[in-house]
Amino acid sequence: MESADSNDKGNADQSEAQRQSQLDRLDREEAFYQFVNNLNEEDYRLMRDNNLLGTPGEITEEELLRRLQRIKEGPPQQNGDENRGAEDPSNGDAIIDWLNSVRQTGNTTRSGQRGNQSWRAVSRTNPNSGDFRFSLEINVNRSNANPNPEHENEPSPEASNAEDIENSQSDTEAPGSDLPSTRQSRPEMPTSEELVAEEVSSFRGQRRARSRSPEQRRTRARTDRSRSPLNPVTETPRRAHHNISSQTFDNSVVGEAEGSSRTRQHVTQSQTLHNEAEGSSRTRQHVTLRQQMTGTEISTPTTIQFSAPEARNSPPATTLETTGSSEPAAPGQRPPTIVLDLQVRRVRPGEYRQRDSIANRTRSRSQTPNNTVTYESERGGLRRTFSRSEQAGVRTYVSTIRIPIRRILNTGFSETTSVAIQTMLRQIMTGFGELNYFLYDSDTGGPGPVPNPTVEAVEPPNGGSSSSSIGEGTEASPGEVYEGGNVGGSASGPRRESRNNRGGSVTFEESGSLPFLSLAQFFLLNEDDDDQPRGLTKEQIDNLSTRLFGENDALKTCSVCITEYTEGNKLRKLPCSHEYHVHCIDRWLSENSTCPICRRAVLASANRESVV
Amino acid sequence: MQKISRLKRELHLLSTEPPPGITCWQHDNRMDDLRAQILGSADTPYEKGIFSLEVILPERYPFEPPKIRFLTPIYHPNIDSAGRICLDILKLPPKGAWRPSLNISTVLTSIQLLMAEPNPDDPLMADISLEFKYNKQTFLKNARKWTEKHAVQKDENSGTPSTEGSLAEGISTDPTAMQKRKQGDGSRKMKRPCFRP
Repeated sequence: MESADSNDKGNADQSEAQRQSQLDRLDREEAFYQFVNNLNEEDYRLMRDNNLLGTPGEITEEELLRRLQRIKEGPPQQNGDENRGAEDPSNGDAIIDWLNSVRQTGNTTRSGQRGNQSWRAVSRTNPNSGDFRFSLEINVNRSNANPNPEHENEPSPEASNAEDIENSQSDTEAPGSDLPSTRQSRPEMPTSEELVAEEVSSFRGQRRARSRSPEQRRTRARTDRSRSPLNPVTETPRRAHHNISSQTFDNSVVGEAEGSSRTRQHVTQSQTLHNEAEGSSRTRQHVTLRQQMTGTEISTPTTIQFSAPEARNSPPATTLETTGSSEPAAPGQRPPTIVLDLQVRRVRPGEYRQRDSIANRTRSRSQTPNNTVTYESERGGLRRTFSRSEQAGVRTYVSTIRIPIRRILNTGFSETTSVAIQTMLRQIMTGFGELNYFLYDSDTGGPGPVPNPTVEAVEPPNGGSSSSSIGEGTEASPGEVYEGGNVGGSASGPRRESRNNRGGSVTFEESGSLPFLSLAQFFLLNEDDDDQPRGLTKEQIDNLSTRLFGENDALKTCSVCITEYTEGNKLRKLPCSHEYHVHCIDRWLSENSTCPICRRAVLASANRESVV
Repeated sequence: MQKISRLKRELHLLSTEPPPGITCWQHDNRMDDLRAQILGSADTPYEKGIFSLEVILPERYPFEPPKIRFLTPIYHPNIDSAGRICLDILKLPPKGAWRPSLNISTVLTSIQLLMAEPNPDDPLMADISLEFKYNKQTFLKNARKWTEKHAVQKDENSGTPSTEGSLAEGISTDPTAMQKRKQGDGSRKMKRPCFRP
């Protein structure tokens, strides 16, 4: 009886609260419109272009004002950090929404937060050149007390599993032969975050390697075990680039723990060494690997070759092990930053040709002073840069890909470039998935996930075959940085496997533990949508005429928001003479290109009008 | 979105000047979950039927169409056994024709129109569509039967001839009716060229 009463009461409270929140939202929406109406043209544009307006009703007027001031004071890039999390409680949908709009609009910034990670994505489009730049920055804040298995100092695999609810697939399938040992060998990984950063680069390689030769993987795992069961680093490095990451790892942790510049330099030097080795091996592999199936054999010597440095690295790595375990208590923990930077650039035809013929150029350099390592590779007109820097305790990983493409937005992709870009984006995004995977599963180490049987379903049908020629280049470019190009060079067999693996990671992502998880999904699932006419760019929208609402206007209601115009409202007039609130129609036109009333194409008629 | 304020206005309009044969109201006091009823128009096999619909407003409404489906089973070429409706304005361009100047009222009116004039060339239920095209009498008979069985309220159908199915379930917003419908439709094959995301 009493409980029933309280239940009723609870329900009543709930609906009351709901009503209240709706009322609040209504107030905020009205405030929003007022705010937008009172903005002058320049401010409105500024806010819209930086995606600061958000959703009516979600943010308060004060927040809008604050954003406006902030954006006026400085470039949006700086704002992101403070803004982060405030703008929208991020979830997969949010970022997908954003991505949907990004494809049409020009410059946007979006940020969000989940758990102890926060992300910020920036997209910039140059409508004239068609250059497109997309960068995603992930910040992992350790101090946010997302309970980490490491912090609990709980070495058992179960403890790590508890953290990986989302990764249940891997957990269920992972108990392969090598896993338990892996987990035990890494019970005290310094933090998941540290690993994560490197895993961006190293994980894919491992996956590929694994997929290509499961045998080999097992062997390697066994070797590792026998070599130094307590050394986590030996798990990770596999090729030169993996050494890089592992060294990064050593480096940072050692530096962090002891501040020993000597160690740091030592490591960096060895990095350089490895890079050279990598370069040479890459060339060799690239030449030979044109026949697909040799891939396995070729990569085997590579492994051996690079396992030597691994062994060399063991001592610092062991140090790491101990410092790692004490690290949770260490003060001044640093949030690593991971920056992925995608640039799609338009390249002159000649330029493209030339690069294409050269096919593969690689150079790597390492700069000891500011501890920045940059790798660049060029191949088939694709240019990929991977750089890592550590400054003031913040490690930054930047991976830049430049793709020659005539025009990536607005006019639609050409078949091949579209596929190439999709492939690449998929890689990036899947990279994030893997990254995320490591966020949660870092103490299972690289060999954690096992190729996933459900992959095939996730893989889009057209991905594999149609992208062969260009896709190879694209494929190679991320691979190059990390794997020395051998994977890119090898033909469809191994690559398909690796694709499948990527699909597998997508499957992890479906469980959605981080916002960008669904990114991969987004790009996968939206592949067939690429024929969709996009919305207008902001320049195109801005070219449409606007005016202020006056008393003697005939049509008095904006049909988007069904609100009557009031004097001083800014209206935008489409070529078909239909008018709307500026902020209402802009939003629609950023994703669509027709008039909401008459469905006439805004752009076509605009052109016609301009002719007349 | 302009969601809440716009919705408020729409609901006000719906309550003050509803389109003929259509009612729409808030469900559970929620803003984004509405229920609607469409009366079957005269001279259609759905005459005298009261069809309940669920209207969910997505977060991005009105930049995204409302998600509408029938809760009452209906025998119709463009409405599948789960109540999903194949109608262009319920989808975003370019595949669909949704636009923010449409609203719940116009969409429900369109659905009413669709009920009166099925579009067999864009079928959701292939067999019903074939029946509609080539065997209109059977279609009409079946549709009427379904209407009587599922959409006609018991107490107000004094004049309704009772075939075997006059154990009307009233307005089947209740889950059991849903279940029943799903079971009953198990035999019908569903073909969905008309894909709703």
